[in-house]
Amino acid sequence: MSDLVDLQSPHEIGHEMRDEIRRISDHLRRRRQVRSTIMVALCGVALAVTAVPLLLLLFELFHRGLPVVLHTGFYTQLPQTPSLVAPNVTGGVSNAIIGSIVLSAYAAVMAIPVGVLAGVYLAESDSKLATMLRIIAQTMAGAPSILMGLFAFSFVVRALHIGFSAIAGSFALAVLMLPVIVISSEIAVRGVPNTLREAGLALGAKPHKVSMRIVLPAAVTGIVTGIILAVSRAIGETAPVLLVIGGGYINSWKPLNPVSALPLSIYENAKSQWPSLRTQVWGIALVLVVFVFILSLSARIWASRKQRAR
Amino acid sequence: MADRGADDGVDFTDLLPPDLQRQAEVVAEFNSVTTSRTWYHYLLIVASLVFAAVSVGFVGTILWNSLPEWAHHSRTLLGGRGWQAPIGPFGGLAMIVGTLETSLIALALAVVIGIGTSISIVFLIPRRFRNIVATLVELLAAVPSIVYGLWGFLVLAPWMLTTVNPWLNSWPFAKAIFGNPGQEFGTSLLLASIVLAVMILPTFVAISREVIAVVPQDLIEASLSLGATRWQVIREVVLPTARVGLFGATFLALARATGETVAVALVAGGVANVQFHLLYPGTSIAAWIATQFGESSSTEISALMALGVILMIINFGLSLISRGLVNRQRKILAVV
Repeated sequence: MSDLVDLQSPHEIGHEMRDEIRRISDHLRRRRQVRSTIMVALCGVALAVTAVPLLLLLFELFHRGLPVVLHTGFYTQLPQTPSLVAPNVTGGVSNAIIGSIVLSAYAAVMAIPVGVLAGVYLAESDSKLATMLRIIAQTMAGAPSILMGLFAFSFVVRALHIGFSAIAGSFALAVLMLPVIVISSEIAVRGVPNTLREAGLALGAKPHKVSMRIVLPAAVTGIVTGIILAVSRAIGETAPVLLVIGGGYINSWKPLNPVSALPLSIYENAKSQWPSLRTQVWGIALVLVVFVFILSLSARIWASRKQRAR
Repeated sequence: MADRGADDGVDFTDLLPPDLQRQAEVVAEFNSVTTSRTWYHYLLIVASLVFAAVSVGFVGTILWNSLPEWAHHSRTLLGGRGWQAPIGPFGGLAMIVGTLETSLIALALAVVIGIGTSISIVFLIPRRFRNIVATLVELLAAVPSIVYGLWGFLVLAPWMLTTVNPWLNSWPFAKAIFGNPGQEFGTSLLLASIVLAVMILPTFVAISREVIAVVPQDLIEASLSLGATRWQVIREVVLPTARVGLFGATFLALARATGETVAVALVAGGVANVQFHLLYPGTSIAAWIATQFGESSSTEISALMALGVILMIINFGLSLISRGLVNRQRKILAVV
């Protein structure tokens, strides 16, 4: 009998070891889980840390900006410098609104044809020129915007003797928009299925007809989305226009006149000594942000609708 | 397989007899937009050349205008202190140091917080809200930088002055790191770094969220099935797989921070001192160009152009690095 008990003992040792192992592994698992909970919670904290300043920023913007933008004079009047007699007279920002529209319109006219066609070329070609252009486009897309201002200053204002003008600002913005449009057009054209091209060629269409009549219409959603995003980026840029548009105080649609722009008047009013101008500046910022939001939201919604329709 | 075009790299023309090979080449050339000799083809080429010319002109013009300054004062530009307008010498050290300080501190803040945020967006937030949050992040990335600058200047700077500066100075050793400007400055290098961090966070999160979201689900499920906890999956599987892409996003954010102009011009204080105490005002290359340009003489403009060249070199270097890293990530994920 004792032999049998002895025979069972390894078995019991096994039991003990198993319990021991289970205890240790329970302990380790608990530790892993506690650690996991803590770290994942920290990630949640990071989300909160990101969200709080950004939401505060949006809150301040609407809270301080809304009272300003509710006056119609804000959109229709020219700016006035407050004086000691009338410290609260600030006028409106009609010149800046018109200036921003003029600047981005001329910039778009300059940048869109070149950008889209260059993008189509990049999508259709694998030549050395195309490879080089692709690298150039991606590098230029991240270039600091102040450098576009320096370029426009030396080229348009000085070398061409045009002077501080809307067209110089648009040129700077066009240089800023070009690489963005090139890249997004290339991606859009590349996204068109090859079967469409081959179907066109098989029916006997000439290659340029295929590209113009089949590929471009199929890619137009992506191209337009890219253009809208480029415009919405350009309209908010301060640095390039700061150096070259001259800050005009009249409503002007002419390309050779100095103009103002929304971001520029934000920059100038923020530094002003007058509290009334520093109050008004939130209204200008709100108008600018709403404008940018509408542009990029519409691009996004339109793109996703079209995608679903396909 | 039938719908693959000629662009997948397989070329069957080698198998044809020689006379038909020539014919196939002619057909291929005829069918390609970019080699067929039509007005459309020339239009595309001209547009591309215009784009190339603009880009080359962009770099060339700035270089050309900075040449007089580089020729005579290159050492002052890179290592000199003090900016004596209007005739010089123009020392660029303060701006270079200020650019590096503000953007690196901003980057450190933004990357740590940003990776945590992207992980929460991808793994913590309920699926329903994920798209909304992603859209919100991308909208915030589109907010013009001047608005961040305005917020920093009119809201944060007074708050720094009344609350944060005294609080920081109540710490031991804090004076050694931050300095003690008392009630004088609300704008400072530290504030510029914070505003930059808040500004690049949406950009960084927008990219890193995508990089993290495309980590293959198989890998995640495999490690979950082996009993890994959530954090273990994130640390051992998700982050290593996304590593290269995250580096790419980091360099892109750094490039954006170094090039930021008006926000820094508003909140950094605009003083050209080499300053390592972060609560004192300073400046950066881009902000200095923006604030000095208005009243500058032609020699000073050439010095500012030279600063622009330094900024361009920093920025282009960073974007080339980030481009290479993102491409490598794409290849890694293609293999997985």
